[in-house]
Amino acid sequence: MITIMFSLLLVPLFSAILIFLIPNSRKETFRPIGIAFSLITLTQCVYLLFGEYAKTEFTILSTFKWIQSYGINLHFGLSGMSTLLLLLSSLLVFVSLLSIGKDHSESKGFVGSLLMLHSAINGVFISGDLISLFIFFEALLIPMYFLMGIWGGENRRYATIKFILYTVFGSVFIFIGTVYTAVLSFGVNGRLAVDFETLSSLSLLESQSKTLFLLFTFGFLIKVPIFPLHTWLPDAHVEAPTAGSIMLAGVLLKVGAYGILRVSIPFFTEGFLAYKNLIAILSVIGIIYGAIVAIAQIDIKKLIAYSSVSHMGFVMLGISAGGFLSIEGAIIQMINHGITAGALFMLVGFIYERRHTRKISDFGGVKISMPRYAAIFLFTSFASIGLPGLNGFVGEFMILMGSFNSYKILTSFAAFGVVLAAIYMLWAYERMFTGPIKYEENENLSDLNSRETASIAPLVLLMLFIGIYPNYIESFVIQEASFLSDTIAMFKDLK
Amino acid sequence: MTTVSEILGINYIVIAPTLALLLTVIVLLFCTITISTPIYVKKYVSFIGILLTLFTIFLKFGLFLTDGVSSYFTEKILLDEFSLIGNVLVGMVLLFTFNSFWKTSELIEDKTTEALILILMSASGFLLMIDAENFIMLFIGLEIGSISLYALAGLNRGDQLSNEAALKYFLLGSLASCIFVYGIALVYASLSIIGVYETSIAISFIGPDNVPLTTFVGLILIIVGLLFKVAAAPFQAWAPDVYQGSPTGYVGYMASVAKVASFIVLARLVAVSLTFIIDQFDLFFGAVVILSVLAGALFAANQSDLKRLIAYSGVIQSGFILSGISSGVYGISASMFYLITYIIQLIGIFTVFSIISGQLSSDFQISNISGLFKENKFITITLSIFMLGLAGLPLTSGFVSKFILITNLWSYERYVLVTVLMLTTVAGFYFYLRPIWVAAIEKTENVVEKIQVKNSDKLLLGVLATLTIYFGLLPDTLVNITRWMVEGYL
Repeated sequence: MITIMFSLLLVPLFSAILIFLIPNSRKETFRPIGIAFSLITLTQCVYLLFGEYAKTEFTILSTFKWIQSYGINLHFGLSGMSTLLLLLSSLLVFVSLLSIGKDHSESKGFVGSLLMLHSAINGVFISGDLISLFIFFEALLIPMYFLMGIWGGENRRYATIKFILYTVFGSVFIFIGTVYTAVLSFGVNGRLAVDFETLSSLSLLESQSKTLFLLFTFGFLIKVPIFPLHTWLPDAHVEAPTAGSIMLAGVLLKVGAYGILRVSIPFFTEGFLAYKNLIAILSVIGIIYGAIVAIAQIDIKKLIAYSSVSHMGFVMLGISAGGFLSIEGAIIQMINHGITAGALFMLVGFIYERRHTRKISDFGGVKISMPRYAAIFLFTSFASIGLPGLNGFVGEFMILMGSFNSYKILTSFAAFGVVLAAIYMLWAYERMFTGPIKYEENENLSDLNSRETASIAPLVLLMLFIGIYPNYIESFVIQEASFLSDTIAMFKDLK
Repeated sequence: MTTVSEILGINYIVIAPTLALLLTVIVLLFCTITISTPIYVKKYVSFIGILLTLFTIFLKFGLFLTDGVSSYFTEKILLDEFSLIGNVLVGMVLLFTFNSFWKTSELIEDKTTEALILILMSASGFLLMIDAENFIMLFIGLEIGSISLYALAGLNRGDQLSNEAALKYFLLGSLASCIFVYGIALVYASLSIIGVYETSIAISFIGPDNVPLTTFVGLILIIVGLLFKVAAAPFQAWAPDVYQGSPTGYVGYMASVAKVASFIVLARLVAVSLTFIIDQFDLFFGAVVILSVLAGALFAANQSDLKRLIAYSGVIQSGFILSGISSGVYGISASMFYLITYIIQLIGIFTVFSIISGQLSSDFQISNISGLFKENKFITITLSIFMLGLAGLPLTSGFVSKFILITNLWSYERYVLVTVLMLTTVAGFYFYLRPIWVAAIEKTENVVEKIQVKNSDKLLLGVLATLTIYFGLLPDTLVNITRWMVEGYL
């Protein structure tokens, strides 16, 4: 199990290095090599799914001595939520490598950066202490910087700098939080131990817990992103290349929520109890605001970006409600949103490659020329809206049901988010796909070829599978959700 | 039976590195004046001289093992952990910058020997400064080192910027030296002491509360003199002009050697002389740190000349290093770690600059590297590693050094400093990533053509970049070394 855990980190990295070493004259080999290696990682993740740590709380499996004189070690481990997110990231890397067009797949920098990004993301999900978490959290930025900077759209410079500065600004708070925790832990353990096992036994004063919660959560919330801190997201999504958008929406946003579930709540529960109402209010504002702004968008990519703000608001609402059902729903919604948003960005990428525009008004009647594409788009939109029987419904329903007890009014407002989602998604579908063909460029659009269909198919199947049989995915997160909700309930009782 | 030389503490091993450098200089002089020798002989002579220096530094470790911390030459030369590590660092700086400064000197045809002599002399001066126990020796070392650097800055006579740099450096540097000497005089006048250890003994004797104001002023003036050399704000005004104007091949050496020597001396001053009264310098050091990082970040953000950008980044880094020096013994060790990793990145960056724009050039606009990645992948990648290291991104040594430093500051409850330093780090990402953007990402018409990089340069850059990443992944060895430096002062 430990070997597999580290190979999740090293296989993508080595494959990236391998691709950098291949001469440019053999550029048709970049994609097959990347796909082969990401298939290895994907298989390993599937194997982890049947392993002994796939349904547990976080277990530290391996420790490295890093700076001995300070007593800092690096820890790595696995849990149910980590396994699911590892699987999600591997799947998304695999399908985005399959889906990207020729100008991206024949550039070694693009394929290599994507694989390096994969390695860093896997690192985040297996880190077992604050320092390695922070290291991988920041290391994400380098490949993302190149992906957005080199292969981005017109306004990529602004968007990239904004993305980097926002994230770095947030991670400064995480950094200070890590330092503070380390110093506190030094007072108890005599060394700067910040691994998750030591932290759970660290007893903090209420004021310390509050400060630390604020420091960590602020950094993670920028990444989620929650309502007033979300402004980097639409810019980043619009300017990023398709594969970058898929990874950004599919996995990078989850890193923020993952950090809150992994660090902020279990270790600084008192702080969580003090500020959870604020987070709940902000996330409901985010749900409604994101949805309303999405309605008004004329750029389909920006529309999906704002819908991400709305959907991630559901995740944060579920987390802040703090019950078993709502946290479970939040984790499932993280996975679901990764699948649907990834699929939507991929679909937008397909049509952008054909028409080189993302404006909704430039389309119309595309259903006639691209029937298969239109059908898949409609299916994915339904999943995104949360139609019963598809995956979006499972998470959002659990979140709404779970948080209704804690926040009756807020949850009622949040439920409107689902309605609004139907408005923006279906209206966009109607404008783009139905009716007569308005522009003649749209007449001869070729439908999805077999490669493109193959790359979207796994995501579509997963939407259906999770929607019909949510028990399976739920079984991986039960342990963790009950652990989190028990911790929260325990601290509530203490008060 | 004790001989006179034992009473005086004459020991040639302890000054052997300085002597080795002087010997090399004399041989070089001999080679030029008395017999005319081909140019490669000079190259080998100076390189062997540097290797000899490193060997003698190695001998000093042996001496330290038998003698421990001790002073020689009637308490003028000191042998302690700081001087040992300082010697090693100066030796390493010489070794790592040899390639650049040799090529530059070769280009200045009729002044090749002078340039080499100036460099080796300045190194010997800074070695003396690091070894000095006595303030007078400290001053002599500082002057030998600095005056050579002033001349080095202006060696490219045909270049107006180079002349300007030399003059500015000279005028402001001598002003700083005046301040330094005045400080020594005040300390001597008030307590009749001129030694590093004497100061702490005298202060412990009269009690920290009874230290006269004159002594404080004197000590602060001494520190200001040193802060000038490391370009901490508000004494940073010379740095950008000097970095910009000096021949690019020399700047790496000039910047790093002065920083190494001055920071080692500052660290020893704080750890030894000021142990009992360091609390009263908190405000002073705090102000300098905050000014340095803020001024550095503010000015660095809108520089179009990369050498100036690195100069201002040096101001920021000086602030960081200083913040550790002024907060406890472990802070000093963290600062030393920071210093070593920073020097590695600094030398690397200037090596890259001199490869791109030529050794003798003075100003280095950011447009000089636009589209660099297309034809020169290796240089761009190493430059990016050094820049990310300066920014403090994880997986590079910059992150580890910042982490250790900030942890120390936090445990000393210096929350204001931590806040300011971290905000500067965020700002740093803006201007450290810009060269990478221009070099690798931005699409441009006129890309830099393929530059022939010599194998020696490739090796050097490879080693420096590997060290930057190595200390980011496995910092344990270096942390232990820096911890060992300060163990005696706990």
